[in-house]
Amino acid sequence: MIEVFLAPAPWNDPELFGEQVISGLATGSIYALLALGIVLIYRSTDVVNFAQGEMAMFVTFPMWSLTLAGFPPWTVIFIGIALGFALGGFIERTIIRPVEDKPPLSVVVVTLGLFVFLNSIATWIWAQGELPKVFSTPFEFNSVDVGVARVTTHSIGILVAALAIMGVLYLLFNYTKLGLGMRATAHNPGASRLMGINVGRMLMLGWALAGAVGGLVGMLVAPITFLFPSFMLAVLLYAFAAAVFGGLDSPPGAIVGGFFVGVAENLFGTYTPSDILGPEMKLPLTLLLLVIVLLFRPAGLFGHVRTRRV
Amino acid sequence: MEMSIWLFFGLLVACSVGVRLQPLGSVVQRAIAAAVLAVGFLVCLVLGVGFVTELFGVLLAAVVANLLTADYVPQRYRIALAVAVAVVFFLAAPWLLENFRLFQFSRVAVWVIVAVGLNILTGYNGQISLGHGAFVLIGAYTSAILMDDQSQLGFVDGAAWPFWTTIIAAAVVSGVAGFALGFPALRLSGPYLAIATLALAISMPAILRKYDGLTGGAQGLFVKRPPPPPGLGDVLERDEWLYLLCVGVAIVMMLIAWGILRGPLGRAFVAVRDSEVAAAAMGINVARVKIAAFTISALYAGVAGALLTQLLGVMTPESVDIVTSINFLTAIVIGGLASLLGAVIGAFALVLLPSDGPDILGEIPLFPDNFVQKAPGAIQGALVILVVLLMPFGVAGSYHRLIATPAGRIIDGVKGIPAGLRSRLGQVREDVLWAWEDSPFNRRSSESDSGEEADP
Repeated sequence: MIEVFLAPAPWNDPELFGEQVISGLATGSIYALLALGIVLIYRSTDVVNFAQGEMAMFVTFPMWSLTLAGFPPWTVIFIGIALGFALGGFIERTIIRPVEDKPPLSVVVVTLGLFVFLNSIATWIWAQGELPKVFSTPFEFNSVDVGVARVTTHSIGILVAALAIMGVLYLLFNYTKLGLGMRATAHNPGASRLMGINVGRMLMLGWALAGAVGGLVGMLVAPITFLFPSFMLAVLLYAFAAAVFGGLDSPPGAIVGGFFVGVAENLFGTYTPSDILGPEMKLPLTLLLLVIVLLFRPAGLFGHVRTRRV
Repeated sequence: MEMSIWLFFGLLVACSVGVRLQPLGSVVQRAIAAAVLAVGFLVCLVLGVGFVTELFGVLLAAVVANLLTADYVPQRYRIALAVAVAVVFFLAAPWLLENFRLFQFSRVAVWVIVAVGLNILTGYNGQISLGHGAFVLIGAYTSAILMDDQSQLGFVDGAAWPFWTTIIAAAVVSGVAGFALGFPALRLSGPYLAIATLALAISMPAILRKYDGLTGGAQGLFVKRPPPPPGLGDVLERDEWLYLLCVGVAIVMMLIAWGILRGPLGRAFVAVRDSEVAAAAMGINVARVKIAAFTISALYAGVAGALLTQLLGVMTPESVDIVTSINFLTAIVIGGLASLLGAVIGAFALVLLPSDGPDILGEIPLFPDNFVQKAPGAIQGALVILVVLLMPFGVAGSYHRLIATPAGRIIDGVKGIPAGLRSRLGQVREDVLWAWEDSPFNRRSSESDSGEEADP
């Protein structure tokens, strides 16, 4: 008989519970950011971008080279964001634009091809030496007490960065003409074009923003997982879950979904009996929960079900 | 004798396409073209540039096929001829191919079954699945558990089942799993369904690792690969027998799929894909049809999984990983959605693109050698993107168009040629045709064969 390890109930050990929730929020903010990238692209071009994680990886590796060359961490972060912006726009312009009017499945396959392509190129350029590579963080790895739990400064940094990005995007979408144009394009490209909006530029901008957010995520994840060509894959899967959970066309949904998935994952890992479920099963359980949510809300929590005309 | 598979593909294409290439002109002109290509072929053979040689070989075969058959073989025999060549080749393959090619081809046969099943679901019925790797694993483990004689399953008497019964059992278990998943899938569509099925494929290896009492955990299960049946043991090696088994099952499954798809259920699949509301208005039970598609599709994946167990002799949670699962979808999209031929082409691409794609490109002069060896995935990814860009209906779609189009119009049909270049090519083609029509060799061209005029 295997001995069952069952964590004490949350009310008996509030510190453990608090720690799990807070570290869940910290990882959740990573998922939320990457999910935000996926949502930005889905809203603007109707594409589920499977290459989102690899785009982030493709930004993180050159930034690692810059760090080696002696650039200070903060400079590297901002250069990385700019590079991600450029990469996203470039990919939209060169690879996605020609398949824009093709069936959605073809576009999905193009992003899958892009996934393999970027991964392989990165392996070719950067991954020849010792792997995984160490990526430094501007936030340091010091422990701090937050209420009942201890977390690292890096986790807090990620959380703050996530909130800051969300704030910036909120302002952009709601209070600028550019953001209005992007929302209009996502809503109805045809009408937007007639109203004088440069739709092509808006789509490119959507990809560029997603690329910038993705680049930032890559640089924030790399200090934790270390850097190797597939380091974003696990994060990407959770980010998909987060994006779908919140609704693929809803940026706030992506944020909520990210935090939810991060916390749910930790709680499933801690509070399920380890002989039949336990930490190894936290991913399947989280995904099961996702599917159950989808059964009741087929377009996610905050997504819009598309009405179809016959 | 070992034969290059590329030469075989060339023959296949030549037999089905060559018959149709009429603008090559009169018999004399075709003979001249054949002679020129033959010289090129020999020169390359002497110089030893492998891939280019085979390219010339393929063109040569096409022209020769054209030369021999265009005037005498009716168009309707074209496909029959290609099928005959394919059947002969596949039956003779154990004696024609190297061992690793034979193993690759066995894998192709297994993936053909998965791809046909997935194409029924995605291509014909319009439901996206990224999770077919999970159904393959379910089938594979069903087979492996039943074949295990360590009596891991007490309630089925502990004896090892004969391998062919486990294939049937795998089909049933996978089919039931697909049936069960068909219900939640009714509520989802598009990207949501894609990611829900992806979730299944991600979870399956973790589940298999966790419940190791039944599945052997991370080490997996070992099975005895079935030996050739008594009586054939003298003629066939075990690998050759397994190859023929996989190809045989694949052919049977394709015939079944063909039967289903051209019957009422197949037409219902397509009707539901094109418009659920219209299909419902025509009296089709949409929910039942969609669940049927999921069930059949999962059943196919289960059969493939059972065969994979026989082929590998060991089954671990990583035998069908998440990347393979996603690649099934890539395969049918680049092969051609809603086409059985597309499923076959996709399965070949799935196996041959990673193993041979880089080599072929590496033989192109001036292509950086280092790049080919260090970044094979880059070439694979780029090829996938290019196929989608240039052939919106997959390779099979382009193929159908190719054999249905007079060769002269092919250039018009190729996507992605800039308008300027296109008109220039058209100009060149007209010049050439004009020259040919006026040439003294070309007496027959005016009362030419089957009534296809050169483009105006």
